[in-house]
Amino acid sequence: MLPQAAALSLFIVVAVLVAAVFAGVALSTRQPHDPGAAAATRLRRWFAGVLGTGLLAALVVTLLHLPYPRGRAHPDLVIYGVGMQYAWGLSTSPITTQDEWQNSTFANPIDVPAGSLVEFRVTSFDVNHGFGVFDPSHHLLGQVQAMPGYENRLQLRLTTPGTYWVFCLELCGMGHHLMRGEFEVVPPGAHP
Amino acid sequence: MTDAGAPASRSARPLRTLTALWMGMVCLLFLAFSLDGWFLRTYQSKLLFATMRPELFYAVLTLHGIGMVGLWMAASLAAGNYLLARYVRPPRWASWLALAGTVAGFVVLVEATTEGLFGAGWYFLYPLPMFSQGIWPTWATGGFFASLATLCAVWLIWALATLWAILRQYPLPRALAWPQLAGRSAPAVPPLVLISTVALLLGVAGFLDAFAVFTFYLLQWRVHGFVADALLMKNLTFFFTQMTAYATMYLGVGVVYELLPAFAARSWKTTRVVALAWNAALALALVSYLNHLYMDVVQPHALQVAGQVVSYLSAVPAATVSIFDGLLLVYGARMRWTIASSFLFLGLMGWAVGGVGAVIDSTIAANAVLHNTLWVPAHFHTYYLMGVVLMLLGFASHLGLELSGRAESRLVRRLVLPFFLVGGYGFVLTLFWAGAHSIPRRYAVYPDELARGAFYARFDVVLIGVLLLGIVLFLGETGRHYVTAAVRGLRHRGRS
Repeated sequence: MLPQAAALSLFIVVAVLVAAVFAGVALSTRQPHDPGAAAATRLRRWFAGVLGTGLLAALVVTLLHLPYPRGRAHPDLVIYGVGMQYAWGLSTSPITTQDEWQNSTFANPIDVPAGSLVEFRVTSFDVNHGFGVFDPSHHLLGQVQAMPGYENRLQLRLTTPGTYWVFCLELCGMGHHLMRGEFEVVPPGAHP
Repeated sequence: MTDAGAPASRSARPLRTLTALWMGMVCLLFLAFSLDGWFLRTYQSKLLFATMRPELFYAVLTLHGIGMVGLWMAASLAAGNYLLARYVRPPRWASWLALAGTVAGFVVLVEATTEGLFGAGWYFLYPLPMFSQGIWPTWATGGFFASLATLCAVWLIWALATLWAILRQYPLPRALAWPQLAGRSAPAVPPLVLISTVALLLGVAGFLDAFAVFTFYLLQWRVHGFVADALLMKNLTFFFTQMTAYATMYLGVGVVYELLPAFAARSWKTTRVVALAWNAALALALVSYLNHLYMDVVQPHALQVAGQVVSYLSAVPAATVSIFDGLLLVYGARMRWTIASSFLFLGLMGWAVGGVGAVIDSTIAANAVLHNTLWVPAHFHTYYLMGVVLMLLGFASHLGLELSGRAESRLVRRLVLPFFLVGGYGFVLTLFWAGAHSIPRRYAVYPDELARGAFYARFDVVLIGVLLLGIVLFLGETGRHYVTAAVRGLRHRGRS
C-alpha cells in the first residue's frame, strides 16, 4: 500500500469516528439528562490514555522511518538538481554555473539502473522551489526543498523502470506549473 | 472582582455597533474571497476561464490566501473583544484603528494583486517577491508589503491593547490560570480570559516576528550587497504564519467556550485540567511551526524531530480537554439549537477533523509524500473553513439576533446546515483525496502527467457552489437582523 493511501485511509476512518461521536452527542440532546461528573472523568481518562498511547506508538514507529539520508547508506548514483525559474537542471556532475544549468536542462535524460539508491543533491539559483520526484505512475515518491544557498539531499531507491518526473512543489512564480525535469530508470541489463 | 462569574454581567453594549460593523464587513468579504476560491478551482478544472493568463490565477491565489487568513484574524479579534467586554474593558480606539487599517490594508492588497498581479502566495516565501520575472512591477511588491505591514501593525496594536486591558484586570499569572494549575480554585478566571490571553500572546509574537521578516526584505532592498539567509527567512516566515493561524483558531475556540454554555444551559469553568491544557497549548504552539520545514533537510534533525513530537503533543490538550469538554457540555443537554449554536458545535468538529489531517501531515515520514500536495490546503481548510470560520459565523449570527431581538427563520436554519456540511466537507474531502493522489497544490494548470488534477477540481467547482449557496442563505438571514437593528437605530436617532 502506498503511504499516501495509508494516510488517506487512516484519515477517513478517524474522521468518520469523530463525525459519528459529534452526531451521537447532537442526537443525545433529544432526551436531556445529566451524564454525571464521575463518568465524564473516567471517560476523559480512558480517552486520554487511548489517544496518548496511539500517538506515542505512531511517534516511535514513524520516527524510525525518517526519510532523511543516513550516513551509512552510500548511494549508487548522485544526481545534482538545480532549480531556476522555470526548469530543473539535472546532471550527474555538479551544476555550479548558470551555463551548466542551461546545458543540463537541454541534456538527454539521465539513465538510472533499476534498484539503485539515488542521492539527489538539490539547490536553487534563484528562489525556493520544491523538488518532487514522481514515479512512472505519477505518484510522488519523495521531495526536498530547493533553497538558494543550501544543498538539501534526498535518497530514493528506484526500482520500477520507466520515466520519472521532477515537478516543482513550492510556488516559485508564474511558471511554477511549467517546471519539470525527467530521468529514466532502466532495467539493470539495459544500462551501458 | 473575585469571582469569574460576577463580572460577566458587565455590558458589551459600548462595542456593539463597532462589532456589528466588523462582522458585517467580515461576512461580505467572506463571500467575496470565497468567490475567489471558487474561481481558483474553476480555473484548475478548465471548465471556465481557460483563456485567462495563469498570472491572474497566482495573483488571485495570493489575494484569497491573505484575504481569508487576515479576515478571520481580524474577525476573531473583533468577536473576542466583544465577549471580553463582559469581564474587562477592551479599548474601543484600538478596534476603530484596526478597522480603518484593515480596510486600507485590504484596498492596497486588492490593488497590488488584481492590478499589479503580485502573485508570491500568502506566505510570500523569500526571496520570491523580488523575482517577479517581469510579471508584477516594483510598485506591486511595495504595495503588497505596505498592505501587509499596515495590517500587522494595526492588529499588533489591537492585540496589545486587548492584552493590556486583560492584564489590568487579571495579572498575568491569574490570566493564565496559574492558581488553578497549583490546585487552587480562587481567584477564578473565566475560560475566555485564559484562552484570549494565550491567543493574544501568540498573535503578538507572530506580528512582531512579521516585522523582522519585513526588516530583512527592506535591508535587502536598500543595502547594497545584503542577502538574507533563505533558511532563517523560512523559519521566521513560518513562525509568523503559524502564530497568526493559532491566534485566530484559539480566539475562535474562546468564543465557543463563552457562548456555547448559554445554549446548553450549563457552565464551562476554568478547572485545573483546562488551565493545564491552555498553558501547554501556549508553550507547544510557540515551536510547532517547525513542522513546516521538514523538507529542508539542512535544518538540524533535532529540530525536525522536535517538530513532530510537539505537533503530536499539541493534539492532546486540544482533543482531551477543549473538544472533549465541548462534547460533554452538549451531551444530554437541554440544547437550544440555532444557526449560532449549531455552527459553534460544528466548528469544534471541524477543528477535530482538520486536526486529524494536520497530525498525519505533521508526521515526517508522511510529510515527504504529502507536503505541498493538495493535502495541505485540505487540512487547513478543514480547521479554518469548517472550524474557526463556523465558530465566528456562529458568533456573527448570535450577535445579529441579539441586535435585532427577532427570532431566526427555522426554514433557513434547516437549509443552511446541509449546504455547509455537504458543500464544505465535500470540498475538503476532495482536496484530501487529490492530495493523497499526489496532486500538487497551487498549480494554475496541471501538466499532462498530472492532468487528473483537473478532474478533482471539477468536483470542487460543484461542491464550492453548494457551499456558496449556503453562505448566501446565511448572509441573507444574518444580514436581515443586522439591517433591522440598523434601521431601528437610525429611527431612534432621528426621533431623539
